[in-house]
Amino acid sequence: MTHHHSPDVRFLMGNEAIGRGIIEAGCSVAAAYPGTPSSEVLESLVRWKRELDHPIYLEWSVNEKVAFEVAYGASLAGVRSVAAMKMVGLNVASDPLMSAAYLGVRAGLVVVVADDPGPHSSQTEQDSRFFAWFAKVPVLDPSTPAEAREMALRAFDLSEKYQVPVILRPCLRVCHARQNVNLGAPQEPVHAGPFKKNWQRWAAIPRFRLVLHGELNEKLARMRQEEPEARPVTVSRGSGKSLALITSGSVSSHVRDVIASDERLAGISVFKVDLPFPADTQALQEIVDFHDKTLFIEETYPVLELQVDDRRKAVGRISGHVPPQGELTPELVEDIILGVAGESPQTRAEAAIKPRRPSLCPGCPHRPAFFMIKSIFDKAVYTGDIGCYTLGINMGAVDTCLCMGASIGMACGLSHAPLGETDARVVATIGDSTFYHAGVPALINAVHTKAPVVLVIMDNSTTAMTGGQPTPGHSVLADGSPGVKVDLERLVRGCGVDFLETVDPYDHDAMKEALLAARRYAYEDKVGVAVVVTRRPCVRSAQAVPSSDRFEIGDECDRCMTCLRDLECPAIHFVKERKIMEIDADLCAGCGFCAKICPTAAIHLKGA
Amino acid sequence: MVDLVLCGRGGQGIIFLTRQIGEIVSARGMAVISSETHGMAVRGGSINSHVRIGPFYSPLIRQEHAGFLLSLDPAETPNNRHFLKPGGLVIENSPLDEEPGIRRVDATRLARELGRVQSENVVLLGFASTVDGFPVTSDELERHLAEESRKPVREMNLRALEAGIRAAG
Repeated sequence: MTHHHSPDVRFLMGNEAIGRGIIEAGCSVAAAYPGTPSSEVLESLVRWKRELDHPIYLEWSVNEKVAFEVAYGASLAGVRSVAAMKMVGLNVASDPLMSAAYLGVRAGLVVVVADDPGPHSSQTEQDSRFFAWFAKVPVLDPSTPAEAREMALRAFDLSEKYQVPVILRPCLRVCHARQNVNLGAPQEPVHAGPFKKNWQRWAAIPRFRLVLHGELNEKLARMRQEEPEARPVTVSRGSGKSLALITSGSVSSHVRDVIASDERLAGISVFKVDLPFPADTQALQEIVDFHDKTLFIEETYPVLELQVDDRRKAVGRISGHVPPQGELTPELVEDIILGVAGESPQTRAEAAIKPRRPSLCPGCPHRPAFFMIKSIFDKAVYTGDIGCYTLGINMGAVDTCLCMGASIGMACGLSHAPLGETDARVVATIGDSTFYHAGVPALINAVHTKAPVVLVIMDNSTTAMTGGQPTPGHSVLADGSPGVKVDLERLVRGCGVDFLETVDPYDHDAMKEALLAARRYAYEDKVGVAVVVTRRPCVRSAQAVPSSDRFEIGDECDRCMTCLRDLECPAIHFVKERKIMEIDADLCAGCGFCAKICPTAAIHLKGA
Repeated sequence: MVDLVLCGRGGQGIIFLTRQIGEIVSARGMAVISSETHGMAVRGGSINSHVRIGPFYSPLIRQEHAGFLLSLDPAETPNNRHFLKPGGLVIENSPLDEEPGIRRVDATRLARELGRVQSENVVLLGFASTVDGFPVTSDELERHLAEESRKPVREMNLRALEAGIRAAG
């Protein structure tokens, strides 16, 4: 967010533009848990706070459920608040969201939920607009970074007007797009007056919940009729009435560019809906009734399409004209529109794409940890978790990946329902941030039920995958102000764990000893859960001390491929022409672990 | 209107280049929209960015629409070539000789000679800025990179830019 000659226009990422809108709206509290593609919302708020010397309170919460509850508490206290997360984070926060929809809010509460059609960096392609419908809360669907900033402002007004939480749902192509964005002046923080006790509302028992549900339904009905965003807006006026397109959010941008670039499509009218739930269904029906055919193009579920009652003249996902999964790329959008319009398809050369797979970084402390787990627990089932270390699949050291924290819960299930072998073994791996997020209750469960599993907590003291956000294991908060470090070992002990060892994953012998002891404890003596913490800062973090050591592979190498296949270090490669192994000094981080595990001791420190 | 695709491996600084181009064009008062890769792919996987200058809403370039493909890794060029329109130009970080439709500079070697191989991205951008029709000029880049407040970063970037411009002859 560098300064420019024109102070009111910046080239901003969608998430930064949302952060800007939140600050401009006079928001006082923002809580988030990182997750691609949402993480930069709170990161940008840290920078906006600093740049504008703004009093907003910011936190990286322990998980999305807590982030939502923090924001909800702040709203009840009378200040505007935000919770930001990715769409699978909304699953975690769904319990308080569903309930808050009934109870309502005081000062504006906006939930920023980033969707990931594709999916590019997520477990699912779920549509948070559909989740909003399920929860009966309104959802705004921005199509560009500039519009995302405006909608962030609008979302607070809507939330206060109707006293409901409002979801702002940017897709990946808004979150991680950048655009020149006009900035506005931040307004004074809003204050709705202090919290007033009213248990019939804020602690409503089922009898009052029924009343509140009725009120919520009335709010939604009013929004449908009164809010301009609920009505379809004509973004491209066609000359004919044979075909109309109804669209929303980031995919509407592809639609508009495709229509504008092809004269054959000039007859088509395009309508965009900014509040896809609750949409003005009557206006949508009128569009469908007026045109010979109406195509719904939305991402990723047919939310607008389903809100239209008479769909006999409508096509879209339900009719099979829009594929039921996958990101709607501009090429796909072009093909769909041309097909429905009865025009000849665009011919394109077949793209021969061989994407390079991602790997743990050279020097990543997870790599030696996985290598040692595999060598000590040869035939175990490896339950994995969500983070960089999911890339342990490249090393054959991750067999499962379900959701945040599932490595431990699933390990309990696998160990209690034996794998059909008497020596069934399960090793769970989880990162520090994920452990704080959702691992703790699962570990308590494992201890309580005497699940014979080994748990390796890979502590690189950051949330690495999403860009290095702090965890509760840090003594600084999101904005750099001091917090209290929640000590990982004390937490593990507090869960009732008796076997706990902490080792440096670069220390081959200590790792081996700790894992062997854990194996005896969990699988031979069957005492219960054994926990090993492997601790070393992420190689990309500021805490990591770079090494200038470089290594070379000598003539002793018999090309056994242990370093290439089992260690899977991106700095090591096989030179086909010369049939030798080589270490790329530009990529090597100098961890030296390859030298420790080379079976023929062929890897040497350069200049030693 | 210019459509530009940048590609490489995660960690090579594609997003930095995307931002420099976008910030310069944006400061001129022109409409610009871009798209970039984050998340797991950034751990050394294939990544690309799209930059679109003109009255666009979508941040994505369709196949066969890009005027330029700026490639930091020759192994990634084939993965992105389908974005180039007929007559579009590849500008590639590679030690090989140039050929019709492909301009090349050994940005990795030049950056290593400057003492920081990670600056290969800025070397390539400097080289590209000398190419006819490229959306930002060498002078604009120099002025923009000079705004960086951290002195060591600023000086390294300006030296890398200069090396790229000089390599173009």
